[in-house]
Amino acid sequence: MSKSVIANEVELSILKDITFEVFSGETVAIIGTSGAGKSTLMTLLAGLDVVSSGEIELLGQSLSQLDDEQRAKIRSESIGFVFQNFLLIPSLTALENVTLPAILRGEGEDINKARRLLASVGLSGRETHLPSQLSGGEQQRVALARAFMTQPKILFADEPTGNLDEHTAENIIELLFAMNRDHGTTLVLITHDANLARRCERTLAIHAGELKES
Amino acid sequence: MSNLKTPPGTKMVMRWSWREIWQGQLWPVMAALTLIIACVVALSALAIRVEKVMTDHGRAMMAGDLVFRSAAPTPELILAKAKQLNVTTSDQTRFQTMAFSGKRMQLVSVKAVQSSYPLRGDLILIGRDGAASSSVQPGQLWLAERLFSLLEVKIGDIVALGDAQLRVSGKIESEPELAYNPFRTMPSVFIHALDLDKTGAIQLGSRVEYRTFFRGSNGALEQIRKGYRLQAGERWISEENQGRTADLITKAKQYLSLTILMVILMAAVTLVLTCQHYSSSRTATVAMLKSMGASKSWLRLWLLSQVGLMFSMAIIFGSFIGLGLEVLLRLPLAAILPEQLPSYGWQPFVLGSAVALLIGLPALGIPLLRLLDTSAIAVLQAQAAKPSKKGLWLIAVPVIAFLLIYGANSLVWMVFAGLIVLFLLLASLSYLLLHFLSKAQWGAAMSLALSRIKRSAISSMMQLAALSGSLMLVAVIWLVRSDLLGDWQQTLPPDAPNVFAINIAPSEQQEYLKKLDEQQIQHSSAYPIIRGRLTQINGQDAKQYAAQEGNHINALQRELNFTWVEQLPDYNQVVAGQWSPQAGVSLEQELAQELGVGVGDKLGFSVNGQPFSAQVNSLRQVQWQSMKPNFYVIFSPDLVKDLPATWLVSFRINDSQLPFLNQLGRDYPTVSLLDFRTMGGKIQTILGQITWSLTVLAALGVISGVLLIFTLLRLSLHQRQREITLYRTLGASRKRISQTLWSEYGVMAIAAGLVAVVGAELIVSSLLKWGFALTPTLHLLMWLVLPILAMLIVFASLSSVIQQLLKPLK
Repeated sequence: MSKSVIANEVELSILKDITFEVFSGETVAIIGTSGAGKSTLMTLLAGLDVVSSGEIELLGQSLSQLDDEQRAKIRSESIGFVFQNFLLIPSLTALENVTLPAILRGEGEDINKARRLLASVGLSGRETHLPSQLSGGEQQRVALARAFMTQPKILFADEPTGNLDEHTAENIIELLFAMNRDHGTTLVLITHDANLARRCERTLAIHAGELKES
Repeated sequence: MSNLKTPPGTKMVMRWSWREIWQGQLWPVMAALTLIIACVVALSALAIRVEKVMTDHGRAMMAGDLVFRSAAPTPELILAKAKQLNVTTSDQTRFQTMAFSGKRMQLVSVKAVQSSYPLRGDLILIGRDGAASSSVQPGQLWLAERLFSLLEVKIGDIVALGDAQLRVSGKIESEPELAYNPFRTMPSVFIHALDLDKTGAIQLGSRVEYRTFFRGSNGALEQIRKGYRLQAGERWISEENQGRTADLITKAKQYLSLTILMVILMAAVTLVLTCQHYSSSRTATVAMLKSMGASKSWLRLWLLSQVGLMFSMAIIFGSFIGLGLEVLLRLPLAAILPEQLPSYGWQPFVLGSAVALLIGLPALGIPLLRLLDTSAIAVLQAQAAKPSKKGLWLIAVPVIAFLLIYGANSLVWMVFAGLIVLFLLLASLSYLLLHFLSKAQWGAAMSLALSRIKRSAISSMMQLAALSGSLMLVAVIWLVRSDLLGDWQQTLPPDAPNVFAINIAPSEQQEYLKKLDEQQIQHSSAYPIIRGRLTQINGQDAKQYAAQEGNHINALQRELNFTWVEQLPDYNQVVAGQWSPQAGVSLEQELAQELGVGVGDKLGFSVNGQPFSAQVNSLRQVQWQSMKPNFYVIFSPDLVKDLPATWLVSFRINDSQLPFLNQLGRDYPTVSLLDFRTMGGKIQTILGQITWSLTVLAALGVISGVLLIFTLLRLSLHQRQREITLYRTLGASRKRISQTLWSEYGVMAIAAGLVAVVGAELIVSSLLKWGFALTPTLHLLMWLVLPILAMLIVFASLSSVIQQLLKPLK
């Protein structure tokens, strides 16, 4: 598959003829320098955007055949996200942020499950705190708990430690891999950190829009 | 109710909406909505009450809700219709006759009334030992206070009115109907209708005026009016056409509508800006929710729950604040409003909510519909949020409503069209002003500020136009009020004449004026009075000529009072033609309009059976409420100087000079003294009430405007938070950023203030000229005040947020 965009009436090729497969339960790192196309690749894989040519098959479904709403449904049922800047809702408590994916799926607030998840990321007793009352590391833990709320089949993590100090980052990564293992989720990790990438079973390096498996 | 199932997570979504309002960016939107509702509720509730009070006042001054005046008894058809519609009626017969006491005689205006008189207003009659009553009973005779000295009688004495001998019951302390025409005002006498025949004054051919007063619902009165076709010499009198106070009331009502419109416009500007700010601050959230799989229908429900909750709360808070505001607004009016206030019903609340909804639909709907279109990819790539043109059709909602409500109101259209043109002009003018400023040499902070304004030209222009637009509306509200009040004060100053002396013989004229001068009493020039008729217009019979125009003119049915002068009175404004003291006549413009004549037309007159003609050389605007001697017809001296005339002079006396007035009456028994002190006082009271109402309303409008500008500036400053943080990160000192901000907003304030003054002068001039029929003037003080006010608001807004904006970096 390929992805190009039009900028100032010129077509720019972001990703060029990329082909690869990720298997269920696998942990895959996509690495590359800034502007290499890592995040664009992730948006395509998660169905946030569509390819310009070629095809992406996600959980047995061809994404280019689906409209916005159908892709949103797949995301709500099978995909979890962890973002670099956490993206928690500022006016919701930690507990409410965690229950949000279940509500988006049309399920009720499963408070007990959300509490368990918060406990599993070490945030027992912080359920009623608003994001502004939590540190960066704590906010990313809430984001992790939120990502696992709906038992996703695939977890996309985009530079999950990019906004954290080294020590906190290490803790978060440990937690991410542990939870991934416990829940049996497929992990696609976007990072520019080669050391972090090495913790995954497979690494895909992207450079100037082209993919190289290492 | 417990069986009612809500979608899963509804509770959490409602909690979320609640917090969005209080902790998120939605509170400024709610504040703007609340303000719109509160202002509309307060102003419309007050407007309804003031309007009712003013209407009641007008009706009280004419002794009924509606009056039928005729030279013959009121037709049975009208009376039967009134009875059928359950409308109360009361009859009055008026005529002038001589009253004789044992010692003296005096021409009086007799009002023969039924005991039910007056149906509105107060009749206060003071009898023996100060006993007060409010109606006239058979056999009673009540005299105007002045008649006691003119006739040299006291309570209990006998006075003859025609053939009737009646015993004086007491004095008329206050009566509802007060005549405004000095030539038709004689001292009043009240008798009962049953005693009318005894006087023998009503003979075939006598000049008698019949009045029937009606009291009932507006609908019934309208039916009575519409069900009868007026004949010659008949007229309906209502509070809208009763003259002197009608003009004040009409203009005050127009001002009320104008103030409400201005406040709504200002709040709408703020609402649009706050909604846009909210929408842009929620793009990331919507993108994130979409990335997590939120469907459009879920997002729609989510936004609807927020908007619904916010609207409900704004309606509740707005209505309560509006009610409180109405009470506050009423406080200064307490002395002049009646104790039993008329109810305003549900109308203000419905109106407030409807206005908020109509403005809120496009203001909130357009950005929110666009927000729904946010792409999920914007969660990672903010630039991926594409601009959308969705929802523009929502603008049609308030526009159509506006067309339906104000379709026929030219004043509102004038303001609306003017505002659109001005908004464009203001934006261009602001841009040119800033462009000019940026060419000059400035310090670092000022240069940075100017470059920032120029860099984001469109958003800066929008902000400037909104700021200057709001300031302009504030200025318009205040200036129109000042000009209206100024005009009223000018036409009826506190030292306006309150006594007219008429029938002064030419031989007495000089001596009479000398007596007034000796007492240092301010008086007008003396005017000769010649009674005559207008008989011909351009060679044709005047009545026939006017009938061709479809007009039935009262002035053609009776003798008129003519005068002649070398120079027209300086308080009469010539609106067409030019006055020349030779071979010409000047007409009052409304009479000329009714007659269908203009400058150059030839009119024929008859005085004492002697015909003569004159060409109209000018038309004059006459302020009848000014209490100065005014005339429909003024001749040049050469035409009528030699005709027999009596003289008129007006003057002002205070209570301590009352003995002198009585002495004057005795010294010149043939001179009729018309005492307008009571009526002048009443008009001054109404003027005082309206002045207060308008001042309070204008103050509210100005306060709302200032608060809205304050909110607008704070929002604009909060939007700069990210940029300021970036400057701080790049090493800019707090001092440098602070100076840049002060310079930027200072420049904007001065530019907006100056541009607002230009806009306000244009709008106020148009409104005064075409809306209120007044002469526009320049308001030099405003050129200084408005930029200073803008600076003060900027100072207050910036001071309130600058510490937060410059907080230490984390």
